[in-house]
Formats: sequence, C-alpha cells, structure tokens
Amino acid sequence: MHRLRELQRDFSSYVLQESQQVPAGVKSIGLSAEQRLAIYRNNTRLGLTAALRDSYPVVNRLVGDSFFAGLAAAYIKSYPPQSACLSAYGAHFSELISGFAAAQGLVYLADVAKLEWLWHEAYHAADAPILSAAALAQIDPAAYGRLVFRLHPSARFIASDYPIARIWASNQADDAGREYIDLRIGACRLLLYRPGRHVEIDYLDQAEYQFLQLLAVGTALSEAVETLLTDHPDANLPILLQRCLLKGLLTDFYLADA
Amino acid sequence: MTLTKQHARHATVSSAIPARAGIGLRSQHHWDALNNPVRPGWLEVHSENYFSNGGIPLRDLEAIRADYPISLHGVGMSLGSVDPLNWQHLRQLRDLIQRIEPGLVSEHLSWSAFGGRYLNDLLPLPYTDETLAHVAARISQVQDYLRRPLLIENPSSYLEYGFSSYSESEFLNELARRCGCGILLDVNNLYVSCVNHGWQALAYLNDIAADKVGEIHLAGHTVNQFGGQSILIDTHNAPVCEAVWQLYQTAIQRFGCRPTLIEWDADLPPWSVLVAEAATADCYMEQAYAQAA
Repeated sequence: MHRLRELQRDFSSYVLQESQQVPAGVKSIGLSAEQRLAIYRNNTRLGLTAALRDSYPVVNRLVGDSFFAGLAAAYIKSYPPQSACLSAYGAHFSELISGFAAAQGLVYLADVAKLEWLWHEAYHAADAPILSAAALAQIDPAAYGRLVFRLHPSARFIASDYPIARIWASNQADDAGREYIDLRIGACRLLLYRPGRHVEIDYLDQAEYQFLQLLAVGTALSEAVETLLTDHPDANLPILLQRCLLKGLLTDFYLADA
Repeated sequence: MTLTKQHARHATVSSAIPARAGIGLRSQHHWDALNNPVRPGWLEVHSENYFSNGGIPLRDLEAIRADYPISLHGVGMSLGSVDPLNWQHLRQLRDLIQRIEPGLVSEHLSWSAFGGRYLNDLLPLPYTDETLAHVAARISQVQDYLRRPLLIENPSSYLEYGFSSYSESEFLNELARRCGCGILLDVNNLYVSCVNHGWQALAYLNDIAADKVGEIHLAGHTVNQFGGQSILIDTHNAPVCEAVWQLYQTAIQRFGCRPTLIEWDADLPPWSVLVAEAATADCYMEQAYAQAA
C-alpha cells in the first residue's frame, strides 16, 4: 500500500493547506494538477465552513459571513475533523474564538459560541423518561439522604459574565427585531435541557446553579444539601427540588450505599 | 420510548425499497415527510446525520420510518483510506441499522481520511491492483460486520491518476464480483466525471454489470469556469439536467427499473419540487416498463 499511502498523505496535506506539493501522478489535461487539487481544497473548506455555520448560526449573525469564514478557516487549521460525523464538528470553536485576535472586541462572542454548542449537544442528546413525583413518593423518608438523582442526558450548564442568553435570543433567525442589549446587565447562569421536542434555556440563581451542578455529577442528596446550605443558608430546598421535578429535569434516581 | 415500541411501529411499512423514485431527505423536510400527503415511494438519508443516541433528528427518523421504506447512504466510511477502518463509525452505523431497518445500505468508492483527519469530501482513488485489493478487503470486512451487502457508488471526480490501470466501470464491476457488493450507479456523477475527463458516458453505462446495479442516483450539478476551462462540479443544488435524464433513460433500458433517488443537498427547494423530480423519474420508469412489455 506504499503508493496509496503516499498519495493520501500528500493529498490530505495539500487540501488542509499544509503543503503546496501536489501528489505525484495527477493528470493535467486542460486544467493543471494544482488547479484540480484546488477544487478539492475549496470543497473541503466550504463543506466544513457550512457545517460550522449550521452549528453556530448566532455567531455567524453576530460577525457576518466573511468574518465567520475567517474564523472557520482558522478553526479547520487548528482542529481538523476527527470523525466523519459533521454534527460532532466544532466542539472547540469557543476556545478558538477566545484566542482569535480579531475577535477580541466582541468580548461575549466566545461565551455565545459555548452556549450554541451546548444547545447543539442538548438537541442531539439521548432521550430519557421523566421522573414522576409518584415514583419519589415511594421512597422511605429515612433514605432521602442517600438519594442520587440522574439528570436528563441533555442537561448542560453555563455561566457567563455577559448576558449571553439575551444575545442568543435576539439573534434567532425568526427574530426580526434587533434589540439593543446593554452588556452592563451582566452575568447569567444558565441551564439548557430538552424535556420534550424543544431545547429550553432557563436562568438559574447562584444557589440553584451550584445545587444542580452537584446533582449533575452524581453527588448524593445529603452531601449536595449540606454544601448548598453552607454556601446559601437561605436557600429553599423543597422549592428547589419541586422545580427540578416540574421542569422534567430529573429522569431517575438510585440509593447510594449508606 | 423503548426499542420494542419502535419496532412495532415499523411493522406498518416494509423495509424493502421499491423500484420507484425516492428522494433524499434532509432535516429541513422532516415535517413534510411526516405530514405532507404528497409522498415519494421511499426516502434516503445520510447515515452520519443520525449517529446519536437519541435527540430530535433520530426521533423524527424513527417516526418517518413507520411511513416509508428508508435507505441509509453513508458519506464517511472512507472505504478507500489506508487508515484502519473506523470501528466506532461502524458500530454507530450498525446501531442505526438496527433502529431503522433500512432496505438498502450504501457507501462511496472514495476515501476521505488520512492520519485520523477527515476531509469531509469524497476523494478520488487511483484504479490500480493495489487499490482494488485494499478496497475489496475492506468492503468484505464491513459486510461481514454489518451482516448485509453494501451498494458502492461511483464518485464524481475532478482529477484522475496517470497510473490507474482500470477504468472506473471495470473497477466497480471487479469490486462487485470479488465482494458480492452491489453497485449504486449515480448517473449524474457518471456524467460529471465523463465530461471532466473526456470519458464516453455510453461506453461507461454499457460496461457496468447490469445485474449488480441495485440503485440509481440522480442530482444536479454546476458548470464552473476555472482557469479558462469549464469543469462540472457535483453540487447537488439544482434540478437534474437534460443530458442526465437522457442517460438515465438509457440506463433503465439497459439495467431495468431500479430504485431511483433524487438527491438535492444545497439550496434546498420545497418538498413539492423534490416530489415533482421524483415523479419525472417514475414516468421514465413507467415508459421503460411499457417498452419492455
């Protein structure tokens, strides 16, 4: 497979713009070998840029098509795809944006990108049944402390210094108005999840954000409550749990060993 | 939603793809597939778009499957790569096959990855003994793993290699003979490659082993001016052109009627436009039946 290996090595380097060395053996009748390879280089760039644009429509709206194409080109260079599944491509886009000099003026852009990726993950996450209050009622109250909840597989959390949920909402394709958003309205903590057909974005306060994140990593209820009440003595635990159930955020539970 | 329930729902429509026209389904048309009373005979999706454990697109596809036979068409198996087969990719495809029970499963005669990096394109292979042995071995491995034959599609290409020793049609026939795979003949790709390389389209059609052709693809392409030359690019963003319709008629006269897919991926038109293209293909198939009778 020597010849095939050399060909694919040189061809892929050329397409990813790491080399100007045209692979050996390409016929040049009419168009030169360089011109023919350029078609493939262009197809790959356009295809991957379109895939990123599909996952990051709000970033694209915020910066415009041509700036987005520049971001995409830089991303493809730093993070070439590692699978054939295009919907999995783009997981590190917010990191690329954070380090992209020309985007530094848009201080919130990297966080908006992160929000879009979490939305995308929530959209494609596995389905799960929603835990009913009736199922919880079966548990012996003495065992409550050992409860470990499983959150819906689509649950994602993000905190930002900027009002990224407002920015995201006012840049949806079907939102005709361009709202003026004052960045000084400041930080937000968000939960994304998909209880039914639609991904929901909920604002959380500090206590909720901390508590849900503890539950998300499988912390037993007693320990999560202890941490919560240490940091937020006035947190209303029954209401917090009630809201989790009502949201459809909990899918299952088990009892940890005592 | 449990698997058992999904399988029960599937039982409403057989998995077999009929020798009629179908359309390539993109996510923008999920609603129409589920609700529009105007329907093509079957649907084909890109397998990789449903490689998830759940989520909305997969849930839609399962619901659509209750009403339509579905064909799974892969764009990322990279059968021609020297990289090892991607077993994660194959596992995901196997899981999807179990969920959807497709009538046909197809892939391309091309490569797309080297050194673990995927170029998201169907790149051309040199048609040599070395490539033939390599691709044949991989197709056999995949077919053994999936426990079903694949259809292998001819690519559209913008370059060819001076050291190829087979024509593309000979190469496809030989793959089919060695591995027991079928051929997915994309008539638009055939036309695009023939124009780009000065090959004879009718000779290509005549060379293809008729009994191996399990499906036909039709699509639109773009004529680009490049360095003072015109070159056809397989863009899937336009109606099927007249020359391709003519080749299609010749193809079904020679091969008989085969499941025929209208592929349209970019600048997607409304569902009704796709259904109308499919109806044209159905018309040509009816004429071919009438002539054969």
